[in-house]
Amino acid sequence: MRFLKNVFSQLHSFVLWLMFSAVFWGWIFTIVTDAPAEEKVTVYCYVSEIRDKDLAVALEENRPEGIRMIKVHPFDYVMMNIERMEDGDIFILPQSRIETYAELLADADGGAAAGNGMDRGDMSDSMDGSDTAGGGVDSSAGFRIYDAASDAGGALSYIGYGDEDYYLFLGARSVHLEDGKALEVARQLLDMK
Amino acid sequence: MTVQIMELYSDSDMSRLGRKVSVWTRTLCGVAAAALAACVIMAATANTANAGRMELGAVATSTVAGWFVIYCGIFVVSRAKRELAHAKMLKQETRERVEGTVTVTRERLAIRKSIIALRVDVAGSAGTKRVLVTEQKGEALAKAAAAGVSAVYTAHGYVAAYEVTV
Repeated sequence: MRFLKNVFSQLHSFVLWLMFSAVFWGWIFTIVTDAPAEEKVTVYCYVSEIRDKDLAVALEENRPEGIRMIKVHPFDYVMMNIERMEDGDIFILPQSRIETYAELLADADGGAAAGNGMDRGDMSDSMDGSDTAGGGVDSSAGFRIYDAASDAGGALSYIGYGDEDYYLFLGARSVHLEDGKALEVARQLLDMK
Repeated sequence: MTVQIMELYSDSDMSRLGRKVSVWTRTLCGVAAAALAACVIMAATANTANAGRMELGAVATSTVAGWFVIYCGIFVVSRAKRELAHAKMLKQETRERVEGTVTVTRERLAIRKSIIALRVDVAGSAGTKRVLVTEQKGEALAKAAAAGVSAVYTAHGYVAAYEVTV
């Protein structure tokens, strides 16, 4: 009884400490589980379901040399805020959303440059996009990662796609366009079961 | 028949309190250091696969250890420190003798940032005088009062010693 009375008399201290702990260690873990843009590849997925952590772990198993971390985030993670996704290296978008996020996406030239001589056809012929979705960037600049008609796609064990085609794009401001590392991870995504 | 003056806080009480403060302070520092080390290890070994679990572990460890340190810091160490400071004050201050029948009441006074005291009524020929005794020594004084205490010695209104006739 005395113990409970004591606890209740200092409840504010206990609650404050709990809040401090959560905020402080949240901040610390955000720092330690992140890496500079040069050492990580960030993937943003506009999909209905995703096992983001498992997908990141699977991609990290064969990560490109010099890459320490692969981050996979659903669009909800940044509340659909375009500015916060500017550093994205890879985007997976449904066809209907390509125009909305066009400014984030590398165009066909950018994608080809990123390939270091490897054109999109080398990636996955069956998944190669061909439909035009309007805007400066269209689906022809991306790689079709999911075909709704045949229900075939990349990383199906990790990503629950909707009922339209999905395309994978490289980020327009990705620091890994030149070194080809974003494309290496994109290839893994496209070939992943 | 001889009159004996019994000190509420003996020298052994004082050294026991001093030891209590020192042992608990070291224990709490140890708990805090161990919890911090555990959290740092969890942060250092975090990777993409286990980051969530490690963060939860660090928050839980730090929270529980912090609660333990806060609770014991306030209710054990601080109270023992205050009691020790109070006992030292009782030893050093000038005392006043109050004669009469001593009754230790259950009325508890928690003085902010100070000790917890019980009210003591000393009923003498000139009326009843109200003094205080530390909660920790309240029971000892009550037992002595039941056996027969003829007077108490107070410092700043707190009982420092009592007089028994043997």
